[in-house]
Amino acid sequence: MSEIALQVNFGLNIALLLMLVAIGLAIARTRSLLAAILLMGMYSLASAVWLIVMDAADVAFTEAVVGAGISTVVLLGAILLVRAGPVRHNWRMTIAPAVLVLGVGGLLVYAVTGLPEFGDPASPTNAHVGRSYLIQTSDEIGVPNVVTAVLASYRGFDTLGETVVVFAAGIGVALMLGFGPRSNLPRAPAATGDHHVVLRVTAKLLIPLIALFAFYVQFHGDLGAGGGFQAGVILAVAPILHALVFGLRGTIAALPVRAVRSVATMGVLLYSGVGVVCMINGGGFLDYDYLFPPSVEAMIPPGLMGEPYHAHHWGQHFGIFFIELGVLLTVAATMVTIFYGFAGRAAEEPGAST
Amino acid sequence: MLLAAGVAGLVVAMTMMIWRAIVGPSQYDRMLAANSLGTKIVLLIAVIGYLSGRPAFLDIAIVYALINFVTTIALMKFFRYRTLSRPLGPEAKDG
Repeated sequence: MSEIALQVNFGLNIALLLMLVAIGLAIARTRSLLAAILLMGMYSLASAVWLIVMDAADVAFTEAVVGAGISTVVLLGAILLVRAGPVRHNWRMTIAPAVLVLGVGGLLVYAVTGLPEFGDPASPTNAHVGRSYLIQTSDEIGVPNVVTAVLASYRGFDTLGETVVVFAAGIGVALMLGFGPRSNLPRAPAATGDHHVVLRVTAKLLIPLIALFAFYVQFHGDLGAGGGFQAGVILAVAPILHALVFGLRGTIAALPVRAVRSVATMGVLLYSGVGVVCMINGGGFLDYDYLFPPSVEAMIPPGLMGEPYHAHHWGQHFGIFFIELGVLLTVAATMVTIFYGFAGRAAEEPGAST
Repeated sequence: MLLAAGVAGLVVAMTMMIWRAIVGPSQYDRMLAANSLGTKIVLLIAVIGYLSGRPAFLDIAIVYALINFVTTIALMKFFRYRTLSRPLGPEAKDG
């Protein structure tokens, strides 16, 4: 990185962190739920840029799609369901929490003084296991993006846990709000007239593009930033946009609640199925080197991917491909289920928030 | 140098947007500020990508541009109809 880029990065770090502090204080101070949601969306936007400045592209991707996109929509659905207003506080009630927060915050600030220097090569994160991942990935896994190698292969078991957590969260929301709309959804008006014609056309144009981009992020995940989680959320944004513009009834006709629910299950099943196949072929759970028996691996043509002379790890490639597909299915279907739950309930009790 | 000046300009613009979002006074001001901040951030990510020699950051900028649009529609729908599930259009008689 050039000298000027380093200086700009330094200045951006300070500017963005100051913005985050300002937005955070504003969120704590505001008494309007809607303003808080808007400010939280802005907080996500700013923190994602900060993550990019720190060169954590995969994390920034996740923050961009989850923090700024889905969570704003879901929170809007949530404040439509609750009948909440500002509560007048007695200042005496805030003393104990304030002391607690200041105490914990002070301890954290004190702990910061013990952290290693920024970018210190000898710090524990850079020295031991992280270093060996960086050195060994190209030999053992053979994918360019080390983040994907760590996430999907070295720590595949952890990622399975995360996928199950996403799935369980979806089940939890569905148990509270229902897997989909419970009752009468508003029909599309018979004559739409010229209302929102620009929005309709733009949405029709954008929905396939969003889905296409999700698949790009999915299949490009072992080369650049991205992967199953990010792609799943982006894919879920496409039906959400459809529901926002054309109504939930039409979206559910296209993507039935039951189908979405089973897709979420199939993703987890696909992921753990890959692990079980590895076990059957004599390896450990999710040990992709054993995904194919040697006789099958010998049948794969050498020029299938990349240069034919380069040593390939077909088990690793296909293992990562399948588990990322499982993550995509589970995350996308869970997000859509959550959206169905929130939006469908709001339709049941119109005007609940007023 | 040109890119650095661009970053500085975008940071100034972002600061103004955040100021507007915090001060308000109406929710529409905040929504406009949030939407405009999203646009600035798309530009900022693109500029950072070229400044640090990582044009792949443009992927993230595209995601922002797409997601920001959906978020804005959700917010406007919230203001106009107070529900996320009904289709856009004139008020229908059924419920």
